[in-house]
Amino acid sequence: MNTVLEVKDVNMFYGSGDNKIVAVDSASLAVKRHELLLIMGPSGSGKTTLLSIMGCILYPNSGQVIIKGQVVIGSNQATGNPDRILPHIRKGNFGFVFQSFNLFPFLNAAENVEFVLRIKGHNRGKIRQEALGLLKKVGLENRAGAYPSDLSGGQKQRVAFARALAGDPPIILADEPTASLDSKTGLEVLGLLKLLAEEYGKAIVIVSHDPKAKAFAHRVVYIEDGRIRS
Amino acid sequence: MIWLALKTMRHEKVRLAITLTGIIFSTVLTLMQVSMYLGMMGNATSIIRNTDADIWIASRNVQNFDFAYPFSEEKLNRVRAYHDVLRADRLIMTWGFLKLADGGQDQVQIIGFNPDSGVGAPWSMVYGRPEDVKGGRYMIMDKTSEKRLGELRIGTLWELGGRKFKLVGLSNGIKSFTTAPIIFTSYEQAQQFQGFIKADQTSYIVAKVRDREKVRDREKVRDIVNDLKANMKDNDIYTKDDFGFKTVMYWTIQTGIGLGYFLTASLGLIVGGAIVGQTVYVNTMEHLREYGTLKALGARNSEIYQVIFSQVGISALIGFTSGSGIILALRSGVEKAGVSLYLSPALFLSIFVIVLGTCLLSAYFSVKKIRTLDPMTVFRA
Repeated sequence: MNTVLEVKDVNMFYGSGDNKIVAVDSASLAVKRHELLLIMGPSGSGKTTLLSIMGCILYPNSGQVIIKGQVVIGSNQATGNPDRILPHIRKGNFGFVFQSFNLFPFLNAAENVEFVLRIKGHNRGKIRQEALGLLKKVGLENRAGAYPSDLSGGQKQRVAFARALAGDPPIILADEPTASLDSKTGLEVLGLLKLLAEEYGKAIVIVSHDPKAKAFAHRVVYIEDGRIRS
Repeated sequence: MIWLALKTMRHEKVRLAITLTGIIFSTVLTLMQVSMYLGMMGNATSIIRNTDADIWIASRNVQNFDFAYPFSEEKLNRVRAYHDVLRADRLIMTWGFLKLADGGQDQVQIIGFNPDSGVGAPWSMVYGRPEDVKGGRYMIMDKTSEKRLGELRIGTLWELGGRKFKLVGLSNGIKSFTTAPIIFTSYEQAQQFQGFIKADQTSYIVAKVRDREKVRDREKVRDIVNDLKANMKDNDIYTKDDFGFKTVMYWTIQTGIGLGYFLTASLGLIVGGAIVGQTVYVNTMEHLREYGTLKALGARNSEIYQVIFSQVGISALIGFTSGSGIILALRSGVEKAGVSLYLSPALFLSIFVIVLGTCLLSAYFSVKKIRTLDPMTVFRA
């Protein structure tokens, strides 16, 4: 398995002096293709901050983020405005899944996927077919025209998965993907994530409180007070 | 991104309706005010603009076309003596009272012109010819005066300044700034309105420059004007454009009319802009999480700005088109009521640019919100 995403000795803190709050403390982590990595930890432990750094949403105070062997954050060569560089990195490498789905309410399932394909510059003549293909991958091909308000929580999360897969990014980051779902649907969603890792070769990182997620993960790491414990 | 903007607008129908109402309000008010102002200024300068003359000589300290003071007509010869002056004519602008059919009187503006040269004659004749005023007490009136004066029938006799004048022609669309009906008659007849003007006096001398060449046009006219100024110190001498500008500035600034129109039009834009800005901002705030998601997925700020600006731009286009339609529908009724509206493609285009600019500006707070939006927010449930 090839390492797709790696963070090395990243630190993230807020404030200074006595008010300094350490969110991530010298964290190092790697994730490979076909792997589902689960990050667990109590609330406020820094797991979402770490996920944001891994997803190049947040620029760490120090440390490196390496994608497919290339240092994208923390390199001496990495110069320029992070606000300009990071979106470009995210667009090419990441798909995101969020706890509250974050689907556009006025776009139907297919259009929510199409939109990301548009952002990623895909051929406009083909994006409809691509979007339908992605919905098929998550088992929602027959709900392509449905709006989020007409979908169940599990179906919404599946649309979010299809959206995360748009543009075929090698890495998918999921923040509490089962938190808004009932137990049965949560298990289905976790199963789907594992399938995406194993069948489609994605490197998947999940941040979750859900103990059931452990059964689906290839590897579990714990974080507490910003430090990775195992 | 226009695609997403259209989807958003279709989804938020009530908000779209409010936005469009704001823009239509803005457009109608601004267009109405500006076209009324231009219409009034057009009326104020209509005789200056439509008289075939490059130079206007008036009495000293004349404030505008309508407030002419008489001066000796002998100065005509001095003007004619200039080699570069092709021809010069006298023109009278005075006031009189017209007796109406019901026994009442109405004040009218009287223009006395030379029927042989036609300089200063009415230009949009619907009946008769300007030269028909020659040789007697004949006059030409304007059809737009009918509402005020009653039916204008060719051949009827009207009492003007105590003397009977025969109506021999009708123009259409010639109005004065003061709204007083305009009556055209021969120079000789106009000169007989004692009290306003004496027998050897004129209100204006208007001159045409010889062999005008396009490029050196203004320069040549300006040279003659400067020369005349040096030799006729008791008079004010203007180019046609300068006299028109002076007249416009008088009514615009000295009377406060311009400020009134400007403030009302600005208020229209401000209120419309505030409505648009408010609805766009609420829309942005409601979809902040989705916009944050877009940023997390790699969309640049500029791509999200495009969504907002597209919404605003499309709204501005629809609202402006509707507002313009309302103005065009109202035009005939407004003009029948005696109000002149100046509407032209250039005016529509200019107002559209202003309305669009106001709408885009109103999106400032939405854009600022997006610029500072941290994509991390999408991780917070």
